[in-house]
Amino acid sequence: MARFGLEAALRLILGLIGAVFLATAIASLPPYSAGGFWQSFGSHLVSVAHLDFGTSRVSGSPAAAELLAHLPATLLLLGFGAVIALVIGIPAGLLAGFSRAAPVAGPLLLVLEAFPLFVIGIAMIWAATVLYWPLDTAPAGTAIPGDVLSLPFARAIALPAILVGLGGAGAIVTRLRQIADTLAYAPYREGLRRLGLPNWEIGLHYLLPEIAAGVLANLGEVMLALMGAVIVAEWIFQWPGAAAFVIKSVALSDWSVAAIILAVFAGLTLVADFIGALVSRALVMADHP
Amino acid sequence: MTATVALTTTRPRWQTGVRVAGLAGLGVIALTVALSDMIARAPADRVNVRQVSLPPSAAFPFGTDIAGRDVLSETLHGLAVTSEQAVIAALTTLIVGALGGFLAARLRFRLGYGVRWTAGIFGAVTPLFLAILFIAVTNRGLAPLAAGVAAAPLAFARTFDRASGLASSRHAEFARATGIGALTLLRRDLVYEMRRSLLAIVGRGLASGTIILSTVSFFGFGALPPHRDLGLMIAGAFTTARASGNFSMWWTALFPALALALVILMARLAAGLEDGTRP
Repeated sequence: MARFGLEAALRLILGLIGAVFLATAIASLPPYSAGGFWQSFGSHLVSVAHLDFGTSRVSGSPAAAELLAHLPATLLLLGFGAVIALVIGIPAGLLAGFSRAAPVAGPLLLVLEAFPLFVIGIAMIWAATVLYWPLDTAPAGTAIPGDVLSLPFARAIALPAILVGLGGAGAIVTRLRQIADTLAYAPYREGLRRLGLPNWEIGLHYLLPEIAAGVLANLGEVMLALMGAVIVAEWIFQWPGAAAFVIKSVALSDWSVAAIILAVFAGLTLVADFIGALVSRALVMADHP
Repeated sequence: MTATVALTTTRPRWQTGVRVAGLAGLGVIALTVALSDMIARAPADRVNVRQVSLPPSAAFPFGTDIAGRDVLSETLHGLAVTSEQAVIAALTTLIVGALGGFLAARLRFRLGYGVRWTAGIFGAVTPLFLAILFIAVTNRGLAPLAAGVAAAPLAFARTFDRASGLASSRHAEFARATGIGALTLLRRDLVYEMRRSLLAIVGRGLASGTIILSTVSFFGFGALPPHRDLGLMIAGAFTTARASGNFSMWWTALFPALALALVILMARLAAGLEDGTRP
């Protein structure tokens, strides 16, 4: 386990270094102040080593300040979305992968998954308009509407968080279906059944740890799906977060801001991957000491 | 024992049925796209100010939009643009991602692990953002390539890991011990692997390519009029509704959205539901 942990940590560190290089390359895109790309890349790399992430071409503020102004709103949305993803994704995935209703539930979920998130977001806005749900999510610039525990905040974050949750749930369902397909061919299930173990006992003691380990092993992919959903949700619901801000930064060639937000997003995915791999391994080890 | 193996390795018949339904659906879509210029009653982006914002009726089954364009004709033209671009995206994912991953796993001096590390870094960025970045750095005409390249890191990682396992498998060891060359072994593994999963890779690539392309267009980084794709059509309907606060013209977004969902659904069905790791 210790060796696995060290290897995973090394992968994480190498990944984070790579993400910094990628972000630096983006920050070095034209227009150049002097010289070509490589000169720009070198000077940006030196600046990053001194924790200077450049300034925004649009606002003139430090890129790090722009990130800090927008990131809390994104993290809140991501957190609430992740909870909704678990609440929806796990039962739906178990239904589509492991239940007797799989031949019906599987294709039915595929039909629902066929609608891109931005289409679902528009449908939610349409439904909200019909039902008179307030949609003034970001009335004052980059401020999160209301206190985190207040009613205006809950009303404002509900729809974007559901959309993010649906994006994450899709990734969880896909993963659970893959695990179900793998486990359907595991010979030990038939063996245990022939030994006289009831289905619920096989499920609880043998399948459940494998399912949990399988989902956690792909936590990075779930995080990636959540990130993609956050971009769409922030854009459609005008949520004042970093994900929609990065799209605007790219459109305006504000590369310093785009680079630092990209680095943070990639870092979050890599950290999720690392944590998922460790916990998944721990579960497997507990099952097979 | 034989009975157990037979029980556990046979693919359920309904899964094969689902795949056939997906392939048939893709065939119908391909035919519609090929004949779209003939089926559509109006050329792409034809404006008619005398018939604006009409709801679905016998004369206009999908209604007309705020500029008086026939939504049925526009949906057919949009479907053609989206489908053609999605095919390019899927092929790019197949070549750069799947094939690249397979070949990288056989590179000498463990060079493949360096490439795998690079793919892992790109894979940590959401494909939607990668595609937008690619288009912003190059130009909108390369949107299909951008969508394919954006989806490639995940396909690369998946195929690389699978190919690495094959390279150190028992049959590979036997082959090397009996003097079979590395190139012959690579060719054999590639043929078997592609035969096993080509359809699934292309189907998934087509679905992800369609989603990325339409979302990118929705954000304003993709197709440009008069060659509107389905994402841009939906974006146009949404922007108009939001600006006016009037969401009553549901048909301008609904029919392009249904066409989009149909392409993605058929591609996913063709890819197959079962994509776990079989022994």
